[in-house]
Amino acid sequence: MSATATNPGTTNLGITNIGQISIIVHDLPRATAFYRDVLGLPLLFTAGNMAFFDCGGVRLMLGPASSPELDHPSSILYFRVPDINVAHRRLVELGVKIEVPPRLIAPMKTYDLWMVGFRDSEGNIMQLMSEVPRT
Amino acid sequence: MNTQNGTALARIGQIAINAHDVDRATAFYRDVLGLPHLFRAGQLSFFDCGGVRLMLDKAEKPEFDHPSSILYFQVGNIRAAHQRLKDAGAKFEDEPHVIAQMPKYDLWMTFFRDSEGNLLALMSEVPRP
Repeated sequence: MSATATNPGTTNLGITNIGQISIIVHDLPRATAFYRDVLGLPLLFTAGNMAFFDCGGVRLMLGPASSPELDHPSSILYFRVPDINVAHRRLVELGVKIEVPPRLIAPMKTYDLWMVGFRDSEGNIMQLMSEVPRT
Repeated sequence: MNTQNGTALARIGQIAINAHDVDRATAFYRDVLGLPHLFRAGQLSFFDCGGVRLMLDKAEKPEFDHPSSILYFQVGNIRAAHQRLKDAGAKFEDEPHVIAQMPKYDLWMTFFRDSEGNLLALMSEVPRP
């Protein structure tokens, strides 16, 4: 590997993608049920006190904090859905705590960006997002 | 949620990362991690990482002001990436090591801090011969 000619000041680490995101949970069976049954993500496998899910090629790792320093809420993850109103209705039906109902967050050049804020079973704030093409 | 009625969570589109100094964090993600900077909108700074948008942001309220989830950045050669990142000034918590032996590959990881103190990792799946 060598530094790129176009960005001589930039490190070339060869990062291709985010392979995994860790989400700290306090009750693994409860969190596993939420990500599997409510969010509908495929459960890949469990290993000890951890559960691994797939979300479009990114692995979500649910598990307890390995040190007090790491025992904090998750980053907000923005899950893409094709129809935000349908997805929002489904979350409501399943009893999920909605933080912010569907709203237009930003009109982009070619689409409107819609989001819904909700909490997972562990109290982490998450979002659904949908890019709605402007006609 | 299922795929039949338009509710499927197909993929993660964006991840929010708290930064206390958005300029400093932008420099780190752009110049040290080498991720493509998409655009800046006020106190928000957006990067691309293999199709997932990273949003650097100052926490809006105290409840949100906590470190990021650990994001595991996939690299081809973890030893080389570790060395380059170290040379670029990133603070590492450990050396690259095998964290799990999967059926077909060894999973290598090494943990480091971004400019905001968030714990992040490099990961690499090394096929077993």
